[in-house]
Amino acid sequence: MELLKLEHKKLWRRKSVQIGVLLCFLYIVIFGGLLSYQWFQFGSPNDFTSSFGNNFDGYTNIREKQEYAKQWEGALTEETLQAMVKEYQERVQTGNVSDYEMTDWVSLNSMIQTLWPELEETDNPYIMLNYVDPSELTDFEVRRENAVKSFLELNGQTGSEREYFLNMDANIDMPLQYRWTEGWSFVTADYISGCGVVFAIFIAIAIAPVFCGEWHNNTRSLITTTKYGWNKIAVTKVLVSFLFTLELYTIIIFSSILLQIIFLGTEGADMPIQCIKILAVAPWTVLQAEIYEYGYLLLASFGYTGIVLLCSALAKTNYVSIIISLAIVFVPMAILQFFPLWGQKALDLIPFVGSSTDIFRTNTYHLFGYTIWSPYLLITVPIILGLICLPFAVRSWARRAKI
Amino acid sequence: MELSLDRLTKHYKSKIAVDCISTTMVPGVYGLLGANGAGKTTLMRMICGILEPTSGDILYNGNSIFEMGSAYRNLLGYLPQEFGYYPNYTAQEFLLYIAALKGIPRRIAVKRSRSLLETVSLINMANKKIKTFSGGMKQRLGIAQALLNNPKILVLDEPTAGLDPKERVRLRNILSDLANDKIVLLSTHIVSDIEAIADKVFLMKKGTFILQGSINELIAYAQGKVWEFTIQEQDLKKWELNYTVANLHHSDKGYVTLRVVSDKCPSLEATPCEATLEDLYLLYFPTEDGGRV
Repeated sequence: MELLKLEHKKLWRRKSVQIGVLLCFLYIVIFGGLLSYQWFQFGSPNDFTSSFGNNFDGYTNIREKQEYAKQWEGALTEETLQAMVKEYQERVQTGNVSDYEMTDWVSLNSMIQTLWPELEETDNPYIMLNYVDPSELTDFEVRRENAVKSFLELNGQTGSEREYFLNMDANIDMPLQYRWTEGWSFVTADYISGCGVVFAIFIAIAIAPVFCGEWHNNTRSLITTTKYGWNKIAVTKVLVSFLFTLELYTIIIFSSILLQIIFLGTEGADMPIQCIKILAVAPWTVLQAEIYEYGYLLLASFGYTGIVLLCSALAKTNYVSIIISLAIVFVPMAILQFFPLWGQKALDLIPFVGSSTDIFRTNTYHLFGYTIWSPYLLITVPIILGLICLPFAVRSWARRAKI
Repeated sequence: MELSLDRLTKHYKSKIAVDCISTTMVPGVYGLLGANGAGKTTLMRMICGILEPTSGDILYNGNSIFEMGSAYRNLLGYLPQEFGYYPNYTAQEFLLYIAALKGIPRRIAVKRSRSLLETVSLINMANKKIKTFSGGMKQRLGIAQALLNNPKILVLDEPTAGLDPKERVRLRNILSDLANDKIVLLSTHIVSDIEAIADKVFLMKKGTFILQGSINELIAYAQGKVWEFTIQEQDLKKWELNYTVANLHHSDKGYVTLRVVSDKCPSLEATPCEATLEDLYLLYFPTEDGGRV
């Protein structure tokens, strides 16, 4: 326990760790969270050339939008949809931006574009929501059902795979229960998934020197001659690395959730994810989606920690260790598009390379004759990879520690 | 308690670093003298169990140290030649960390580290980060960490490097006190340190002990091979080229008094004088790489 405490202190004493955690906090919580909510994501529009031209009034703007959305809350039927579109078009007519900004126009437009594609005028410069005739937006549920089937067909998902998703889709409670989507959409579709790469950078900076740093500090012969030697310290280093990852995660995620509660509140947590992406087939609420995504982030962080520890044990200098660790995430990300689909799917299983937003998609893996929905593997494989790396990390470090 | 080296040999590919060394050590201070590359550090690392010998064995009370594992390491205190430390730790934290690695309970470790910091005169720096320490202070901290577990076998590789004369004397006294119930093995280039405290000296060259014995026994090898005489200043270069000059002293009138180590009498004016351990060292290691002139 004493060794764990001191090893933990040693890790946190490093300037690179302190600066890294601070930067991570500033980037994710302050820039991506606080300023996003209050300014460039939810601030009322002012200068249309950039989101950074928004007013610094996110908190009140969100309250107004939530207040406006309350009138449509409840079952999302075609009548409600038509009324929402009509209301949007009337607000656009006033020419007052703040009027139509109140509406959930992004998700509304995406919904009608997906379900009534034949109404889209390709030569019309305006978004579909502006010109579509609300009375033509009929058969909402049937349209959705057909759109899901067409989408699966277009993806080449037939037979048992098609059945798998249609069965999943059949579990969605209809009619959909509409709530204000913009806030939840930001959290579940953008914010959490964006945290992954940032986590990767700062976990690599902090953990990559854990083993090879001992070479840097020239302490190996000293440690070798102590009673507990390399093996016990190796286990301690692994525990401390995971503890650090958990601490980083806790600091960032709890701050993020706190900001989310302050700015967005908890209302709408029971909204189905279909209100954000109409063709999503998972019968999940946005709260379940958020829990999954945070779970993915935690397990991917742990998995990546294991991989970084292996790099640290194999490398002899901190810089090499950091570069290899970062390359494991960023090189696959960069070359992913040049791979065939199976290759892309395989690379997605590397921590942080895949995305937690797969819950909105119908990607699958075929393993041993089973069809597995991608979110199940994306959340489990990274941590398994990390755990597999650990014994190799400990062994290779203990072996190399012999002079 | 005894530590025996039994035909201890270490090869690095074709290079022989330690060549079939055998000796037995009982509590006392042992000095290891030799030029750079003589194999001192390799020998010490094998004694510490860091390096495995190519052949031969090291026995502690008849048991192979390589089989004893952590039980042997528990008896060991080691100060490596290049002492590594964690720059962002304070002296006290560093000692507690090493104590934890040595399996010393925290309560005891706190007391022991305070007392050792006092012994090595670092108590006022206990809460300062090591990165702010001078070379000598780091070296003293290294000595303190080696003593944390009250080791039975203390191996110190160049412990006096970087210490000022006062600190060196203080360390020598500490080691002398410790040697009652410990085997202390130290290597240094500073012959006077070994001369002051070692009970037995190993003179090491090309991986083997060329001489071993008490200070007096070793000095006896140099008796009759140390000469003193006076020459003219302009001849100094010539003498330095052909002989190992242990000391020289310039006088006012253009003369220089030389102390020369040589098997044969170098000059008709030369008179033999009392040899020291340094003279013996120069006799066997007249050049830096350990060769003869």
